[in-house]
Amino acid sequence: MDLDEFRSGLDTWLDEHDEELRPDYTGSGTLDQQVAQMAKVKRMAFDAGWMRWGWPERVGGLGGSNLLRAYLGEAVTLRDFWEPGFASLHEVLAPTMIDYAAPQLAAAMVPRLLRGDEMWCQGFSEPGTGSNLASLACRAVREGEGWRVSGQKVWTSLAQFARRCVLLTRTGGPESAHGGITALFVDMDSPGISVRPIEAMHGHEEFCEVFFDGVLVPLDRTLGNEGQGWAVAMDILPYERSTALWHRAAYLHHRLQQLVTAAPPGSLDPAALGEVTQVVYAFRARSRATQHRLASGGQLGPETSIDKVLLAEAEQAMFDLAEAGLAADLVSRDDPISAQWRAEYLYSRAASIYGGSAEIQRNIIARRLLDLGNDR
Amino acid sequence: MIEGDDLDLFERTLRHANKTCNGASLDAALADVGWHDALAVDQRAAVAIQFELQGRANTTSSALDDVMSFALGVDGSVAVVLPPLGRSAPPGSRCRDHLAVEGIATAALARRERALAAATADGTSVLKVAPVAELDTVSVRGIDPELGLVLVTGEVAAPDEVAPAHWDAAVDLARVAIGHELTGAARAMLDLARDHALERIQFGQPIAMFQAVRHRLAEALVAIETASAMLDAAWLDRTPQTAAMAKAVAGRSARTTAKHCQQVLAGIGFTLEHPFHRYLRRILVLDELLGSARTLTTSLGAEVLATGRLPRMLAL
Repeated sequence: MDLDEFRSGLDTWLDEHDEELRPDYTGSGTLDQQVAQMAKVKRMAFDAGWMRWGWPERVGGLGGSNLLRAYLGEAVTLRDFWEPGFASLHEVLAPTMIDYAAPQLAAAMVPRLLRGDEMWCQGFSEPGTGSNLASLACRAVREGEGWRVSGQKVWTSLAQFARRCVLLTRTGGPESAHGGITALFVDMDSPGISVRPIEAMHGHEEFCEVFFDGVLVPLDRTLGNEGQGWAVAMDILPYERSTALWHRAAYLHHRLQQLVTAAPPGSLDPAALGEVTQVVYAFRARSRATQHRLASGGQLGPETSIDKVLLAEAEQAMFDLAEAGLAADLVSRDDPISAQWRAEYLYSRAASIYGGSAEIQRNIIARRLLDLGNDR
Repeated sequence: MIEGDDLDLFERTLRHANKTCNGASLDAALADVGWHDALAVDQRAAVAIQFELQGRANTTSSALDDVMSFALGVDGSVAVVLPPLGRSAPPGSRCRDHLAVEGIATAALARRERALAAATADGTSVLKVAPVAELDTVSVRGIDPELGLVLVTGEVAAPDEVAPAHWDAAVDLARVAIGHELTGAARAMLDLARDHALERIQFGQPIAMFQAVRHRLAEALVAIETASAMLDAAWLDRTPQTAAMAKAVAGRSARTTAKHCQQVLAGIGFTLEHPFHRYLRRILVLDELLGSARTLTTSLGAEVLATGRLPRMLAL
């Protein structure tokens, strides 16, 4: 299956099933609606085969290049069939399982994620561990044929909907730093797990605190080897900055077009609009190169920090412009469309904070790409 | 297409030429290595490689004249009269039996016998190749004396039909070429600032250890890679809009890079003994040529508002 064939086949399928695939709500909908909508789209797309392309056959995929996944996310996003931020979870977590889970586990679990039967979450950040991921403290201790996990995670996206969690734990001593981290694949219905959603400023309880109180995790749920958790985390991060960002770039273009259509005459400054148009286009151009590097077998590494910096710049510039162009709606109206602009404007403030802050990305660029020496 | 080993050799040869030659000798070297033939065979390789190298090495050549005359379909070596800085419409206008020309050119004008003057006539572009001797030229030092800018005015006799010109296509290609030159210059500035940051010791350590310095240099690299991605996109999606966007982004990114690098270079970067000033001078001129970041960005915004449509999305 090549990209052109996939593109035309998928477009036709999406057009044919437009009515069934389209959400039954206007604007953002509630978080429950969004999650249910995404599950529906994934299930239909998986059963029709489209969602399986770009994933290896051993995890229920049909093979083919990652470009197919990139295009699927773009096409679905441009039709407003799902919230692209949520799609990033499977784009990030499925590759981790493929690379690090035991083959039988990956084969059993990944199709459930791709088909939308299950949501998964990513347990990385902790109250005392934001940018300095290697300082994490959530403890896992060997006990018989398993791990006993105690600790807390925070900013865990959609944990209240998740059936599984890719969890980073401290298995070495307190001073073990990068070398003492182990990744586990945890069932969220295990005894001892409690989830508390965080009320966030954009109005959706998308992020959660997750508490682990003596949770038993079987040994065969270890991802990679004991002490290899840092490698798992480092391999995940470039995925956060590849296919998922391509989907985001498509979404920003889509929203910018909607802004141009909706903004009252005279409300958009041509110079500002021109610059945002360029920044959104440039982000997409950068991300395109990343998709193609991945497709030709290249390893993604620190250069994807540039993609993440551009995402934050494009996202914030785009919604700053929306705030200027649609000020009256965004600030003072409560209809679903205005509420969506408002929620997305507020959410865009986090783009330079989540997934490695703007400062951390610049540290990586300085150390790894400019080779300015280790400043730590 | 120039590919594989041929591409490596082509690039190495041009790199050597830009390192060892400048101005007239670089023109001769480009002719020797068959750069003009390459332009016909693989426009992207010829333009991207030479202009990046020229930007990096701070050299001058007639490559821009050649790119434009190539796009305009004019054979042989001619100098091109460019529009005044900041503008992109043809530099001339038709008045009865002559073309009134007002524009600028580079030092290349003095090295060529014939000049290409484009003009607007009845809403379309026409062009005329005239002896350079027919034009009034005034050399200016300006902000970048090594570029050898020449202000050009004159009336070129054109009693007969003149050829219609694909001026806009020539401008598109020239914008992408200048975008590459800006990006090459920006990379050179970043190299200078990086070297300085690693060598300069203050408070007992290289200033490259200070996060304030590191983040400035990181910012410069982000700007450069953004421009580079836009230039790639302009070659993939060859529309007037992408060419203009690529030049605007390259101009803005070069200015951003210059600002951060000059701050890191601090005192030494303010002297004439350090090469930084040459790059700053060059990018200011290049940014203004055929539309600046500022004017191109504003007109893009105005166009989007007028049509209600964004530029087509870059395809995967």
